[in-house]
Amino acid sequence: MAVPGLRFDQALQAILIKDLRCEFRSRYATGTLVMFALTTLASVSMATAGTGLTPEFAAALLWVVLFFCAMAGLARVFVQEQEIGTLLGLRLYASGQAVFCGKSLFNLLLLLGLAVLVVPLFVVFFNLEIGNWLLFSLTLVLGCIGMAVVATIMAVMVMAAQSKQAIFTVITFPILLPQFLSGVQAVSQVLAGNEPDGLVFMAGYDIAVIAAGLLLFDYLWND
Amino acid sequence: MNIHQVGRSVIVLAAGGVIYAVFTVVPPVEGLGNLVRIAFFHIPVAWVSVLAFLVSAVAAALYLKTRKMTYDAVSACSAKLGLGFCLLATVSGAVFAKLTWGAYWNWDPRQTTIFILLLIYGAYLALRSTIEEEEKRAVIAAVYALLSFITVPFLVFVIPRMYPSLHPEPVLNGAGHLEMEPVMLVVLAAAVIVCSLIYGELLSQGIAKVNSRQKELKL
Amino acid sequence: MKVVLENISKAFGAKLLFEHINAELDTGRCLVVTGNNGSGKSTLLKIVAGLMKPSSGSIRFYSGNQANQQVLQGTVGMVSPEMAMYPALTGLENVLFWTKLRGLAITEAKASELCCYVGLSGNERCRVEHYSTGMKQRLKLAVLLALNPPVWLLDEPSANLDEHGKELIARLIDRALTAQAAVLLATNEAREVGYGSARIAL
Repeated sequence: MAVPGLRFDQALQAILIKDLRCEFRSRYATGTLVMFALTTLASVSMATAGTGLTPEFAAALLWVVLFFCAMAGLARVFVQEQEIGTLLGLRLYASGQAVFCGKSLFNLLLLLGLAVLVVPLFVVFFNLEIGNWLLFSLTLVLGCIGMAVVATIMAVMVMAAQSKQAIFTVITFPILLPQFLSGVQAVSQVLAGNEPDGLVFMAGYDIAVIAAGLLLFDYLWND
Repeated sequence: MNIHQVGRSVIVLAAGGVIYAVFTVVPPVEGLGNLVRIAFFHIPVAWVSVLAFLVSAVAAALYLKTRKMTYDAVSACSAKLGLGFCLLATVSGAVFAKLTWGAYWNWDPRQTTIFILLLIYGAYLALRSTIEEEEKRAVIAAVYALLSFITVPFLVFVIPRMYPSLHPEPVLNGAGHLEMEPVMLVVLAAAVIVCSLIYGELLSQGIAKVNSRQKELKL
Repeated sequence: MKVVLENISKAFGAKLLFEHINAELDTGRCLVVTGNNGSGKSTLLKIVAGLMKPSSGSIRFYSGNQANQQVLQGTVGMVSPEMAMYPALTGLENVLFWTKLRGLAITEAKASELCCYVGLSGNERCRVEHYSTGMKQRLKLAVLLALNPPVWLLDEPSANLDEHGKELIARLIDRALTAQAAVLLATNEAREVGYGSARIAL
């Protein structure tokens, strides 16, 4: 009858693998997300068919698509636990930090998977030239980290709320705005063939929200 | 007549004095003419909306530390007032912009910042309204207030790089559009103080209301 | 491990659920909570588990001579109708997940042995979504056995169980008490009330 020392890495791993396995079997989030991404992309592409897009406009569209996909899918990580009734057990047996990191990582993988799908389609539909793929990917990864982390914190907040999905978008957008705006700027710079200059800033934002999450998540988790 | 009524009368009198000064003492400014008088309303309310935001975040942190519901009331009331002042600042700024630059809105950095502040306040209050359980609401709202507080510095940094500005330089800058004469500075300082006092008075009234309602519930 | 409930009260808004509960939960002892539906049995268990805050009063955990205000994570295990298993995972995967979450490494063989013990043999590799309610309840018991915590919180453990299942509960409680665990049991079944050495009536 040992009182186990809570191992952070073990718990994190358990949560991440469990989520990936459940997602792989049910494909709840991925199915919706992929269709959502395709729908937004197609609607934008059809509406702007024939008009050449400026780099700024294309960059903004790319982030809008990613942002709304995130809004459509990422709240699931906690809402689903709540719906199937496993939340109580998770709260009893897992520490806030492990849950926060595990769920953020899962959300990040979802978003990156989505980006891998969306970006090539974007290039095809809008006839874009991406000069520097390395910087382009780096920008996307930095942006997705911020989105995944913020969405995870907001998702645990809206569990106690009514009309979760609507309020989730409302409260996430203002918090994500700095990352959103600098992401748009950085991508438009890459598309225009320049070096993006906001990457350090984006990384700084990511670090700030991760630190805030680690500090504040326990308050949300233990109550 | 108790101390509160005295305080209130003083604030009303001071506000009257400042309004009088704005229309008589302050001279029209070259290039802006009488429009400059809007600034004596616009700058104080904008300042108070930022102050309210700060108070709301500090109260949120104190709530998480002490778990006293009074701090939650302070945070919520301050956010509500902040939203009100923020709206006033946005509208007065837009009117000023229309009269001087020819358009109500052009996503100037300051317009963008204040608009985002509006979004944050709005989101904060909307979030509160969707959570019924009192303690949960307090904790979640506090965390949200702190998180949004963390993102504001990033906005202040990123927005000016995104949008070119027409907005006058901050007040205490001699090279800006608004050449501040000493008399104007004094009036402006007085206006800011009066506006802050109005905010303080409304805040304490709001908190007292919430506290008395909670007492009623307990009885 | 000893758990002391001091003057616990809980109210939801203006509705008072219970007040001034004082009790001691000692190692090797079983404390029974009885009461009608809606009297707050589950709420009391959740308060002891640290999943809910009492309106007033406190819970103290004593391990040796050390008193602790907070539930040490890992000391409490719980079976409750409100606590579900993951439907997309198999029974075995559920056992392995919950134990790994707590940093306990148990082998697959051990996990499937526990599944057999609670009467799930042959079904441990089926997904939980195909389980009956009784089988899900048995799986929760298997998870609790795998976690083997020093404090057991059982909220109506025999809900949805057949006669054999009820005997299983008897065996489990016996097993826990011999292993010097402290058991807090919320139930209205006359037979289970008998396991208790003390009782809280809500």
